[in-house]
Amino acid sequence: MNATVDFGVERVTPAEKTRRVRGVFDAVAHRYDCLNDIISLGSHRLLKRAAVEMARLRPGKDVLDLAGGTGDMAALAARQVAPRSPSGAPAAGADGKAGRVVLADINRSMLTAGRDRLANRGCVRVDFAQGDAAALPFQDNVFHALLVAFGVRNFTNKAAAFAEMCRVLRPGGVAVVLEFSTVENPLLARGFDAFKSTWPALGRAVAGDGAPYRYLVESIREHPAQEALREMMEEAGFVDVEYHNFFAGVAAIHRGFK
Amino acid sequence: MIDPKLLAILVCPVTKGPLTYRAETEELWCAASGLAYPIQDDIPVMLQDEARKLTDEERDSLR
Repeated sequence: MNATVDFGVERVTPAEKTRRVRGVFDAVAHRYDCLNDIISLGSHRLLKRAAVEMARLRPGKDVLDLAGGTGDMAALAARQVAPRSPSGAPAAGADGKAGRVVLADINRSMLTAGRDRLANRGCVRVDFAQGDAAALPFQDNVFHALLVAFGVRNFTNKAAAFAEMCRVLRPGGVAVVLEFSTVENPLLARGFDAFKSTWPALGRAVAGDGAPYRYLVESIREHPAQEALREMMEEAGFVDVEYHNFFAGVAAIHRGFK
Repeated sequence: MIDPKLLAILVCPVTKGPLTYRAETEELWCAASGLAYPIQDDIPVMLQDEARKLTDEERDSLR
């Protein structure tokens, strides 16, 4: 294993990357949702919806929203695994029990922001746990589905994280990974680069700090392309891994089964 | 208070061993790793570097 890992374009020790990524999200947690809307022109909502659709959730299923942050994916998933009946009680699945969503994130500020936000929306069937993707605090074979939206890019040890994701999924369970990816068309890639170059200034204007958005731009550049990520998932034990590109590859959704 | 259904699937992230909930300290104890994971604002903090090392007596009490 390499002694250093990428933090944006820098090379740092794994422990330092984990520490710095947490710092990045501590800095932006309070304005995270607002900034996502700005830098993605609102499209992150559509992508998250598409990712949850690809998990084909049904009432009664148990879901892990990993690196769940402020809870967009958890809220969408909870609506599907525990839909509200007219009486207000969550509907049960085929085996008579309602599904649950566990939102896990390494970052405390993001988790508490997520919990406050979901509580305000009356989203009751979501539990919270602070944890590291490379050392998940869950038993083997407990989740029917696992969702990661814009999280894998920040994982210090992606191979370990994918192995852990596979471990906690039930046999036949599905993992859906939404992440920035690689734009193949050189002209479009240049256009996306130009757009990304505006993000640090936007971050400074809205959240008061441009550095986290410089990290964001750099981390997108360092993230494995579509095929490489697919191979990483297969090496971790996922089967039938496929991906779909969105906006010419600006983002991609990978899906694999245990 | 952690939801019992969440508690039922939580394990020590280091050893994947079972946890014992300790109401008096609001912690989750793992005998195998000798670590105590704090529960802060009802959210369990399942990180090795934020866990407390159990004393020998505390660890013995789990046997």
